[in-house]
Parts: sequence; C-alpha cells; structure tokens
Amino acid sequence: MSGDRVAVDTAAVWPDDVDAEEGVVVNWFAREGRSVDEGETLCEIQVEKVSVDVPAPATGELVEIVLGEDDEFVKGDTLAWILPS
Amino acid sequence: MAQAVAEERDLTMSRAMVEAIAAEMHEDEEVFVMGEDIADYGGIFGSAQGLREEFGYDRVMDVPIAETSFIGAGVGAAQAGMRPIVELMFVDFFGVAMDQIYNNMAKNTYMSGGSFSVPMVLMTAVGGTYNDAAQHSQTLYGTFAHLPGMKVVVPSNAYDAKGLMHNAIRDDDPVVYMFHKRLMGLGWMPSPDGPKTGVPEEPYTIPFGEAEVKREGDDATVVTLGLHVHRALDAAEELAGDGIEAEVIDLRTLTPLDTDTILESVRKTGRLVVVDEDYRSFGLTGEIVAVAAEDALADLEAVKRVAMPDVPIPYSRPLEQEVNPDADNIVTAVRDIQ
Repeated sequence: MSGDRVAVDTAAVWPDDVDAEEGVVVNWFAREGRSVDEGETLCEIQVEKVSVDVPAPATGELVEIVLGEDDEFVKGDTLAWILPS
Repeated sequence: MAQAVAEERDLTMSRAMVEAIAAEMHEDEEVFVMGEDIADYGGIFGSAQGLREEFGYDRVMDVPIAETSFIGAGVGAAQAGMRPIVELMFVDFFGVAMDQIYNNMAKNTYMSGGSFSVPMVLMTAVGGTYNDAAQHSQTLYGTFAHLPGMKVVVPSNAYDAKGLMHNAIRDDDPVVYMFHKRLMGLGWMPSPDGPKTGVPEEPYTIPFGEAEVKREGDDATVVTLGLHVHRALDAAEELAGDGIEAEVIDLRTLTPLDTDTILESVRKTGRLVVVDEDYRSFGLTGEIVAVAAEDALADLEAVKRVAMPDVPIPYSRPLEQEVNPDADNIVTAVRDIQ
C-alpha cells in the first residue's frame, strides 16, 4: 500500500527567498488518522524565521506523521504520508 | 462524523483567536480590526494573521503609533454602532491611552445615561518569559480588572481563546481580551505543551464569569490564569507524586469573577494558593485571598501568594526567571501550607 501514499513534501512548500536548506517543524494541526481535505493546513514549518503553512497535497487519511514538532529537517524530507481516498 | 473529524483538528491559540474573529467578520459587517502591524504583518503575535488577505484594508487596518487616537477611534466607532476589535500591541503601552481606556471606553455607557453602548474589544498581548524587560513583559491583569466598566478575559488555551473571543465580540459592553504571548504557538516563541488544543470548526461561546477546574484535588486549591495554568498543572503533577492532590482553577474571566467556583473549592480543601504573573501587591492574588477570607473564613486553614515580586521585570534571563513564578515555586507554596 505504501506505493499509493502521497508524501507531504517539504520541498514543495519551501519559501522562494531563503538560502537555508534546513527547517524545523513548529506546529501540527492534524493528528494521525484524521481525514484531511486537499489544501487544508496540516502543519506549520519554519525556515530561516519564515513560517510556512503546509497544505495537504491530497484528500485522504493522514496515515503517518514522520517529523514531529521541534524536529529539524532538510529540504526535500517528507513531513507525513497521506493515503488518498 | 463531521464532529469527530473536527475534534481531531488542533489549533494554536493565535489561530483559534483569528478563526473566531474571521467568523464574526463574515457574520456581521460592522466587525472590523485595527492596530499597529495588524494588516500587513498580521499582528506581531499572530492575533490577526491572514485577516487582511481575507477581508481587505477597509476592515483590517494598520494604524499609526498613536494609541490615544486609535483606541479613541475604536470607542467612537463602537458608540456609532460598529464592533471594533482594537489591538494594543503590548499591554505595557496602555499608559499613553489611559484616558481613552479608563474614562471613555469603560465609562461612556454610564456617563451617557445608557444612551450609548461601547461594544468594543481591546485585545492586548501580556506577559514575559522572553527577556523583553520591564516595559514589554508585564501582565497588568489587576490594573484592568480593578476598574469598573470593562469585562476582562484571559484565555489559557486555544479552545477557550476561540470561545471567549466569540463572546467578547458579541458582547455589547467593552471587553479587554488579554492574551499571553507565550501561549500563542509562535515559531519564534515556543509554547509549553497545553495551549494548543482541539478546536471545533463551528463557532461557539464560552460565557464570561465561568472559571474552569482543570484538575481536581482535595489537599489545596491553586487559583491562577493564563500561562501559569500550565505551570500550576505541572506543579500539581509533581505534588501528586508525593500524595498531595492540588485542585487547579483557571479563572478565564477576571471581570466578572467566578467567586462560586473559588469558594466551593476552598471550602473543600481549606488551603489556598493564588498564582499570578502580575505584581504581588494591590493585585489579583490579594483579591482572591480576600474573597476566600470574606466568605469562607471558617473553612480556611492557610493561604499563600505566588506572584511577581514588586520590582520592574528584569531584562537579564536568569533574573527574569528568578522573579517569574515557575512550577517549583508553586510546588513549594503548596507544600508550605500542608
């Protein structure tokens, strides 16, 4: 099934005007198991003091949160997985 | 089904406040927001994040650094039938606009013989813990709760923040809405665990004058508000390890004050600790102790105040940590009166 899952990708929401390649997860607004709508804000990340709201890339179930609050990551890391419905 | 999904959604306190404001703005075109750095910045503590993008500059306004002018404008707009939400960026800045707040916002309903209502919300950031020194770190709960004419609310978490904001905007009287910066859930000022909660997407209100018992216990009553609700809960957890069960009460509203909940708890425990980030003297801690002494004296074994000492709040990190009550101070106070 994992092949069907859609990654919530940090690179997809990376702010344009920063040089930093690293960020940190500030807040999660959805918990594992929540049914999410495409475009709904899942979490907030911060890159070089810029806060970015991360939208759900697909409608479905948030099946796995990979990076929790305060976790650091590099551009391209996966925040979570959604199983589309 | 929809409700089960809603319960799974968490919000920070700032986002919960914004959600309530946005819902009221959709419902009533007389509701608008103004303040320093409100429109383009979204409020320096996130209290208006995204509102300008949604409602435009006519209803979400930046103002000059002139508190007397824009708070006075808010009072006038409210008297003319609008429902302004005015942000005083830091509560510490109230001094320059004291006449507008104390003599106009709070009193015009009375001075006009009831000809005018002032349905205005003055929302303002309070509190320290981030080394911003004596002019940007105060809570001043007592300063606002002392003076008749205004309702005063202090949310400690996102769920309460939304419900209290809905109630504040709908109230026909002036409301001072004091939010603690450390609870807002900002990336640059991380919150403790606790203020981010599940928040229903539909509007709801939390009535003024209803405190909440956050944790039940028989050995001591801890009355507090704002950030220190979370510190008191941490303290209660530690005390429970020693077999001391503390009851923690979150006041949520200062005016009107829920004396019934305080008295009921004190009659049960006989021991009262009041925890406040505001100054010790002539303030909230003394008021709550007086309420208990007046109406539950026979049940009262001991009282203790845990509050900011009467000093300007230090800039220095270790000095500020020393004066701002923490969970250890609360634990010690509860133990001292067992």
